[in-house]
Amino acid sequence: MDEIKTDFHYEVVIVGGGPAGLSAGIVLAKNGVKTLLIERGRFCGAKNLFGGIVYTEAIKEIIPEFPEVNPSPVERSVYEEGYIIVTEKGIVKITHTKADPQHAFTALRAKFDQFLAEYALGLGLDLAPKTKVIDFLRDDKGKIVGVVVDRPQSFKDLTPARITSQIVILAEGVNRLLSRKAGLITRDFAPEEVVLSVKEVLQLPKGEMEKRLGLKEEEGLAWEILGSISQGLPGLGFLYTNQNSLSFGIGIFLSALATVKIPPYEILEKAKAHPFFQKILANAEILEYGAHLIPEWGIKGFPKLYGKGVLACGDAVGLVNPLFREGTNLAIYSGIMAAETALSALKVGDFSEKTLAQYEEKIRSSYFYKDLLLAKELKTFLLKNPQLFTTYPELLYEALNLYFSAQGRLKQEVLKEIWRLVRRKRGVLGVIKDFINFLKLFW
Amino acid sequence: MASKKPEVWVFIEQEEGIIHPVSFELLGIAQKLAHDLEGRVGGVLLGEEVEGLIPEVFAYGAGVVYTVRHKTLRYYRHRPYAKALAEVVRRFEPEILLLGATPLGRDLAGGVATLLETGLTADVTQLSIDPQTKNLLMTRPAYGGNLMATIICPDHRPQMATVRPRIFPMPEKINGTKGEIVEVEVELTEEEAGVERIGFIPKEKSIQLELAEVIVAGGKGMGGKEGFSKLFELARLLGGEVGASRLAVEAGWISYEHQVGQTGKTVRPKVYLAIGISGAVQHRAGMQNSDCIIAINTDPNAQIFALSDLGIIGDWRKIIPLLIERIKERKGLGRN
Amino acid sequence: MLNLLVSIKQVPDTTNIRLNPETGTLIREGVPAIINPYDISALSLACQLKLTYGGWITVITMGPPQARLALKEAVEFFADRIILLSDRKFAGADTLATSYTLAQTIKFLTREKPFDLYLFGKQAIDGDTAQVGPGVATRLNIPVVTYVIKVEEINLAEKYVVLHRKTEKGIEILKAKLPLLLTCEKEVSSPPFSPFPLLLKAQKTEPQVFTADGPIEFLREKLGLKGSPTRVHRVYTPELKKSGQIMNLEEVGEEEAVKAILLLLEKRRIL
Ligand SMILES: Cc1cc2nc3c(=O)[nH]c(=O)nc-3n(C[C@H](O)[C@H](O)[C@H](O)COP(=O)(O)OP(=O)(O)OC[C@H]3O[C@@H](n4cnc5c(N)ncnc54)[C@H](O)[C@@H]3O)c2cc1C
Ligand SMILES: Cc1cc2nc3c(=O)[nH]c(=O)nc-3n(C[C@H](O)[C@H](O)[C@H](O)COP(=O)(O)OP(=O)(O)OC[C@H]3O[C@@H](n4cnc5c(N)ncnc54)[C@H](O)[C@@H]3O)c2cc1C
Ligand SMILES: Nc1ncnc2c1ncn2[C@@H]1O[C@H](COP(=O)(O)O)[C@@H](O)[C@H]1O
Repeated sequence: MDEIKTDFHYEVVIVGGGPAGLSAGIVLAKNGVKTLLIERGRFCGAKNLFGGIVYTEAIKEIIPEFPEVNPSPVERSVYEEGYIIVTEKGIVKITHTKADPQHAFTALRAKFDQFLAEYALGLGLDLAPKTKVIDFLRDDKGKIVGVVVDRPQSFKDLTPARITSQIVILAEGVNRLLSRKAGLITRDFAPEEVVLSVKEVLQLPKGEMEKRLGLKEEEGLAWEILGSISQGLPGLGFLYTNQNSLSFGIGIFLSALATVKIPPYEILEKAKAHPFFQKILANAEILEYGAHLIPEWGIKGFPKLYGKGVLACGDAVGLVNPLFREGTNLAIYSGIMAAETALSALKVGDFSEKTLAQYEEKIRSSYFYKDLLLAKELKTFLLKNPQLFTTYPELLYEALNLYFSAQGRLKQEVLKEIWRLVRRKRGVLGVIKDFINFLKLFW
Repeated sequence: MASKKPEVWVFIEQEEGIIHPVSFELLGIAQKLAHDLEGRVGGVLLGEEVEGLIPEVFAYGAGVVYTVRHKTLRYYRHRPYAKALAEVVRRFEPEILLLGATPLGRDLAGGVATLLETGLTADVTQLSIDPQTKNLLMTRPAYGGNLMATIICPDHRPQMATVRPRIFPMPEKINGTKGEIVEVEVELTEEEAGVERIGFIPKEKSIQLELAEVIVAGGKGMGGKEGFSKLFELARLLGGEVGASRLAVEAGWISYEHQVGQTGKTVRPKVYLAIGISGAVQHRAGMQNSDCIIAINTDPNAQIFALSDLGIIGDWRKIIPLLIERIKERKGLGRN
Repeated sequence: MLNLLVSIKQVPDTTNIRLNPETGTLIREGVPAIINPYDISALSLACQLKLTYGGWITVITMGPPQARLALKEAVEFFADRIILLSDRKFAGADTLATSYTLAQTIKFLTREKPFDLYLFGKQAIDGDTAQVGPGVATRLNIPVVTYVIKVEEINLAEKYVVLHRKTEKGIEILKAKLPLLLTCEKEVSSPPFSPFPLLLKAQKTEPQVFTADGPIEFLREKLGLKGSPTRVHRVYTPELKKSGQIMNLEEVGEEEAVKAILLLLEKRRIL
């Protein structure tokens, strides 16, 4: 009989098999580092969902041959992209077609994450799914020297298994229990820092999706949806095309949601019932339904990204820029940076905070860090200006409506009428103020 | 042998001297198949003492009964039964062999088909003869009932199927019918059986909604415990069980084990009576695959009507007591 | 010590299967492949027996290359050896051909070391035939006990096992000779909370793959579609739900309504 060994030691343990953890794993495995990745889901991606769009440039950092890989981990290339602005009466659509559709792809997490996992396994990474990290091991100086998991040592010894390592990389996503335990963060996300996202994957009869959206076989589209879709609450919707299904979802700030007590799935139902989306989604069958939190729009000052023997990356430290749908790619970039830091620490055999501080420097000098600072301002602006979610979409819609039904009328009259509309809806000063505030964000 | 009339066989499932009703149902359909093939119906009886059962097999339509009597066959065990049945088939070469899709029948069929190296279709719900090829068309649900598949076994004989009970009607019983009896000897040993029964725990009487063929279900519209006692009476008369919606359970009129639906049991009886049940999606999830749905509801717009075979708009108080009365009357007549 | 063989099948999770309402075809997309739930019970039982009596577990499956994932998962149930039978020539097999392929493989493995117990699922949820277990037992010429809900005792010295078997009328308690093939009901055992090292091992273990080209001996004409006596003649969608008869009590009166109910009950042979 196979006696199973119970003593485990690794150079690096990664907690969480999302894009952040898997990217770190791929980089470490490529460099021959003895690495273990622990994921609590049945497989990587099983417990997760996202919109989602992934960017080729980021994926190439870990998988250089992408998108020429088989089987493909992604759904469709993003050929058409833009905004749908929704009002009760109708919509305004601003989209464009891409010169290089290969720059981004739609994806589903179960498939995408599993692909990264298989890739990492192929490079020699050790992977333990269905396992949850419940605590850290520490030495007498308080340095983290490993993890404790919920799974027993063996069938005979039912105490939780202990795995030692030089460095632990936390990529646990938005729940952050361990980052807290490690002392990197001292509080949970506040309601105005997280967006609750609900999403459905919907399927139409074959060929119907392409027909209704005017797409060719391989072409995909990605629409962000603004306006009355979120029932006047600060939030955004999205509609993306997968290989044979559509992802339709909506995200709303938890703080706003708490004030109205409408269940999020009801908001989604209402959004689906809008005539514009009804035309696209009629008779669609729901394949999946899920909800997930997004830590959004830069947090007030970063949490500490490292501690003694530990680094944290991805959603766990709030690296998401939803304005540009950047979450997965920031997870990938930060995972890579964490891995590179671990590599140099292993090289010199020094796991003190001094060495690990390199990681935070890398993050702070990245392009996305600056973006996130901006995003933070933008969020405050939006939360303070709810008119952006109702008044402006309506204004825009009505103005266009007037403009395009102007046959047989004096054009000057029409323009005047639009002007009156603006004054009635928001007031000239209001518009100017909003505009200036908005511009100020970027300077 | 070659010129002999084609035979359609039914394995007569008996335990402790009682024949399983499915065997009679199969004798019924076998008669139809035999007619289309211009052949005759045979019954196969295995056991220790089975003479007493032969008249019944004739009465339900067999023209010939094959028996194997042996001490080793005193209760059902796979190997001796499979060997005996396969042996009889080899000697008399029927065209078709049908077994009930009961636990016993399904256990036996897999072994027999392998011994005979022939095809076997499980859990069939429709049977007919292809008029051109004379092949048996065996239709069964696939993928949880989402699809129906018709299976044929063109080049091997016999064509074997296990058939779901209560699909085909019970044929008329004609007492005193005579036919041919063929006794077959098969060599069997206790040693070969390999299995010995050393105890038996009879099934406890508990409600088995999932297995019930008739479910009389009540909802909020029953108005209270008294309403449900009527349903219990009706269910008893029909040989079925009582089901309930969640609201009825939450009201404390009936216990949770009766609840049908998303958070209760999923059932698929032959007949589901939904009485005072609106037909919320969570309730439908547990009963919409019932073969036949009868709804009684005062609200003409109740959703339950959309999936009913028969919908009666009205107060159950005016219908259920009368229904009970009528069934009682019939039973009283039927007995003599 | 016990030498155990478990035969498992990878199936689509049929609770998730949907039909395209327009074309009537199966939507396989996004339907996860799982280990047949009854086979999970068989694996769990094997694990439990190995822990009680000591021994080895071999797991086999016949299926497409991706069935390897089902086998890897079996390692979490303390399996020592996993074997995949995969070849185009095996494809399209009905239960007769499947039982032949599995039995030939088992006979081949038995040459190394005979097995004491063969554990199968009661039935596979995709086909619901429940025929493969008895079929393999027949070909191995050993007794079979179906619908097992409990293994009470295994006596290796005297080579017998005591089992509980579910029948229509109750529970049979049986004493059976080893070697024996049994098919498992869900109740027989529940999945273990596997220890960490096994989860890790499962990821790193790859099955041994056999094709139709040896070293196991197969007669070509008994494999796959060729070796299958049954043919699918036609597949169709069952008729959609009825738009039934609706009657208003006020219009038709009580007697008519009750008559209609009685008629239906008769038609369905309840009365
Ligand atoms: C609705 C929605 C739409 C989005 N759309 C986009 C988009 O279009 N483009 C984009 O780039 N980004 C998008 N994002 C964001 C993106 O999904 C995340 O930013 C990204 O997945 C973060 O990756 P991660 O690896 O940090 O965390 P995660 O992907 O959350 O992974 C964390 C993993 O850790 C595991 N885990 C947690 N705790 C433990 C533990 N204790 N032990 C073991 N395992 C543990 C979890 O099971 C999980 O698998 C979207 C998010 C949502 C919710
Ligand atoms: C997560 C979740 C899970 C749930 N799971 C289940 C479940 O498993 N099973 C379940 O049943 N429900 C379930 N429910 C509850 C379900 O949504 C409905 O509330 C419930 O099924 C309604 O029960 P009802 O039809 O008895 O009551 P009602 O909807 O109140 O309907 C009563 C009906 O009786 C009729 N009626 C009244 N008087 C008479 C009369 N004298 N004669 C004839 N008809 C009369 C009325 O017209 C009405 O149609 C669940 C709900 C949720 C949210
Ligand atoms: N392709 C296969 N490979 C291995 N075992 C199988 C296969 N098909 C069926 N079995 C086994 O036989 C049992 C009954 O299957 P079935 O007769 O298809 O209902 C299953 O629970 C499995 O244990």
